[in-house]
Amino acid sequence: MYGLDAISAHNGWQLAALGTSIVFAGLIILFLAISQIHKILEFWDKRDTYYQSIKKLVHRKHRSEATFSDPVLPKNVKGSVRQFKLLIEQIGEPFPLPKLLDFSEKCGFPHSHSSVNDLLKAKLIIPDGKGYFLWNQEVEKNIKI
Amino acid sequence: MPVEINIIDSLNLFEDLSRAELEEIASLMCRIKVTEGEVMTRQGDQAHSIFILLSADFMVFFKEGRSYTLHNKGDIVGLSAAVIPFCYTGTAVALTDGVVLSMPGQELLRLIESNPALGGKIMKKINQIISARQPFVTGGC
Repeated sequence: MYGLDAISAHNGWQLAALGTSIVFAGLIILFLAISQIHKILEFWDKRDTYYQSIKKLVHRKHRSEATFSDPVLPKNVKGSVRQFKLLIEQIGEPFPLPKLLDFSEKCGFPHSHSSVNDLLKAKLIIPDGKGYFLWNQEVEKNIKI
Repeated sequence: MPVEINIIDSLNLFEDLSRAELEEIASLMCRIKVTEGEVMTRQGDQAHSIFILLSADFMVFFKEGRSYTLHNKGDIVGLSAAVIPFCYTGTAVALTDGVVLSMPGQELLRLIESNPALGGKIMKKINQIISARQPFVTGGC
């Protein structure tokens, strides 16, 4: 068997069609890739900018998570809240934070620095915006002591 | 102890820097431990180092007892080490145990002089922080 009969008998037409389709499909993919290459190059050129924006997004996420944390006083500070309140009443408000630390050390409070830090984080002691601090009565009423 | 880039990469002060610039900054830093009550800078002393908070909390106080506190990763103490006349304007005390990054001010200035683009980015941030804190120093809050 020779010629067109042989081609038909051995699925030659189908194979030729398949081969042509594969070649054209490859060419189309290549064409699409080349038509988009300017975007890849642009991305590469601005990689630093993209890197910075991704970094800023991650920072913003971390910051918003931190904002929603609910400050609860550690157990070791719960007992000293009353003592610090008495000291602050004695100093008067608004009070300088270094003076509170100085007084608490003289009174022998254990870990006075970290205790004051816990009170600050729990917002029991709040800044007045002028460099001095206030005792927050509202938080004292509501906080889980 | 050398500082990994991914640590300083996450800090606000360096957020606009490229990876190569971060590598240069990281080479100047070392990590140090602080303990509760430790005084890191003293008002009037010659300013030698800048400290960047990683996990500690700090109080910085000035004349007449004015003060502010720092609690966030990336907060900075001792910026006077990068600004004339290189004298600390406040006393910084650690409120908790923790870790800070220390960077010699003179080394930072040398880097800024040799790389103006990097210097511009950092000095812009430093100036913003200094102007926000200035009222505590001068009492004009």
